[in-house]
Amino acid sequence: MALDYRKCAEEIVANIGGRENVVSAAHCATRLRLVIKDNSKLNKAALEEIDGVKGMFDNAGQLQLIIGTGTVNKVYDEFLAVTGMTAATKDEVKAAAAAKQPVWKRLLKALGDVFVPILPAIVASGLMMGLVEALGKAIPNFATTDWYGFLDMIANTAFAYLPVIVAISAARVFGGNIFLGAVVGLAMIHSALLNAWSVGSAEIEYWRLLFFNVRKVGYQGHVIPVVIAVWLMCQIEKWLHKHVPEMLDLFIVPLCTVLATTFLTFTIIGPIFAQLETWVLAGAKVLVRNPIGAGLMGALYPWTVVMGLHHMYNVIEAGMLAEGALNTWMPIATAANIAQFGACLAVGLKAKNNKTKVVAVPSSMSAALGITEPAIFGVNMRFLKPMIAGTVGGAVGALVGAFMKLGAKAYGVTGIPGYLIIDKPVPYTFLLLISAGIAFALTWFMWKEDEPAKAAAAPAAPAAPAGAETLEAKAAELPAYPDTSDVVNTTVIGCSAGELGQVTKGNVIPYTKLPDPLFSQGTMGIGVGVEPEEGVVYAPCDGEITSVADSKHAIGIEGPEEMDILIHVGVDTVEMKGDGFKPFVEEGDKVTKGQKILEFDISKIKAAGHPDTVVFLLTNSDDYEDVTFTGQE
Amino acid sequence: MKEFKYVITDEVGIHARPAGLLVKAAKGFGSTVMICKGEKSAKATSLTKLMGLGVVKGDEVTVQVEGADEDAACAALEEFFKANF
Repeated sequence: MALDYRKCAEEIVANIGGRENVVSAAHCATRLRLVIKDNSKLNKAALEEIDGVKGMFDNAGQLQLIIGTGTVNKVYDEFLAVTGMTAATKDEVKAAAAAKQPVWKRLLKALGDVFVPILPAIVASGLMMGLVEALGKAIPNFATTDWYGFLDMIANTAFAYLPVIVAISAARVFGGNIFLGAVVGLAMIHSALLNAWSVGSAEIEYWRLLFFNVRKVGYQGHVIPVVIAVWLMCQIEKWLHKHVPEMLDLFIVPLCTVLATTFLTFTIIGPIFAQLETWVLAGAKVLVRNPIGAGLMGALYPWTVVMGLHHMYNVIEAGMLAEGALNTWMPIATAANIAQFGACLAVGLKAKNNKTKVVAVPSSMSAALGITEPAIFGVNMRFLKPMIAGTVGGAVGALVGAFMKLGAKAYGVTGIPGYLIIDKPVPYTFLLLISAGIAFALTWFMWKEDEPAKAAAAPAAPAAPAGAETLEAKAAELPAYPDTSDVVNTTVIGCSAGELGQVTKGNVIPYTKLPDPLFSQGTMGIGVGVEPEEGVVYAPCDGEITSVADSKHAIGIEGPEEMDILIHVGVDTVEMKGDGFKPFVEEGDKVTKGQKILEFDISKIKAAGHPDTVVFLLTNSDDYEDVTFTGQE
Repeated sequence: MKEFKYVITDEVGIHARPAGLLVKAAKGFGSTVMICKGEKSAKATSLTKLMGLGVVKGDEVTVQVEGADEDAACAALEEFFKANF
């Protein structure tokens, strides 16, 4: 009966190419997780046959062997004994798996991780900024009103102070103190420094620090230097935390972290980017003189936005106009920006993942108005291929614009509002269509939604034949609800392990207000209740179904980082013995966020005399430090 | 390791309400508490996994306690099962 843990571990080691082929090992509740050096040395068929191994899969550089609750830890101990390895945490296993990815992929992922959480702050702002500025150009009288001043200020706040927002998010991603991150971000745009947007129109002053001449210039609108600075800060902070005695920690660590980071930022990181900016400006001035150069500039433009090197372009535009010539820079910028719009829109229309869709569509609108940061950082850069499509579209558009000798009579707007200052509207329309069109078409054909979405679609297909008929029969009795829903895009529970979305449509109340002391006192964990408007429950996150109660009214899900989630429809509804509840999943099923997992009949619950509130709890909330939930006081 | 067997007499079995109380009781000890029913087993500190065992009236479960305070925990849990299940 009892499994021979030692034998099991020995057989595993023998079939994974021995100790030398293992980078690290960890286990979770059911699985032994191994990072393997060379997958070709795995004997997968033999692994599956080992007594005690119930299943196996190979995921993103990590080999996972399903062994089972209560036994996996024992096999793991033997595994360590057999191999002579030391225990790795799950984080280490994950990090080692991530390290197997190419560097550029990891950099893109880090950038994406930093940018995705701040999108709510910049997408709407970008759109509003584009609209307000366009209105200001279109109706000169409006530009002098108090309303314009107010709206313009609110709209550009997120962009004017973008480095602070980026710094906070980056500090969180890289594991530093977010408040120290905020300080570093604030220092980089301190009002004692010359605004980066004003470089070229004002004299630059210097500080003399050791051997360095430090330019008193801020980092307004910069992204990459801020991310690098905060990454550096986190490394310094972690190192100091390890080496400074605890008694002095609060005094020494923050002070030294901020001082060292800002010093290195202003003396080394800053000058590198300033030098790059100067070169880009000099290069750009040469390039715009002929159509081929303009085309090249159209391709480079979005990448200079990524690097934060685009600040001095208005110097070029102002220079052209001062010489009495047309501003031929503006069509190049427009081609590049409108191509980002095209690429981003294609992502928005093609994406099936709701999260991607809701970001991509408004971001593309903002890009059409000339504010491309949300589209570039929030969408196109993350998926890379749309960015390349945008580059090509921008290049072709800029080339065409140069051949048509397009030019603007002023500067400050691009994209759709560019009509206000362009000399020839009809060719301009052609430029917009060709840039956006090429970027859209290339994205549409080159870009495919990434792996998680595919993985979700794949298991669903083979699972269908088994229980499809009965599930369909069940579904037929109730009003038709969609199979997926965006109600889960509203996060109602959050913690270090991840975010959990609202599971059903309706008013959300904190768990403390639930109509049962067992729930309201937190015995079952922390979370929320939803007073349901519709009798349907959606998965709050990606995960695995750990239980479906025989009475069908409660479902358990294991989410990321072993979050133990309970969805319990109604109170005391166990007494209904399953009547009025229709689960669409079984124990062991994989679910994706937003997937329909259960339908229930609100009227039957009410008729049975029970509260119908859907209880939604993180039952192991005391395993996490920073659990938050809707309605928290 | 210490263990005891128990036959569930409570009408609803190890479900949300009593299961929540069990989790609370199990968390009160340093020892690891496993509840086993046939081939399946679950940590008594994970509510949804406990519920996943599908323990109903008439089922026999084995409660395994392992750790520094296993004697006290085992005795207390046996009392708990008698009182609640």
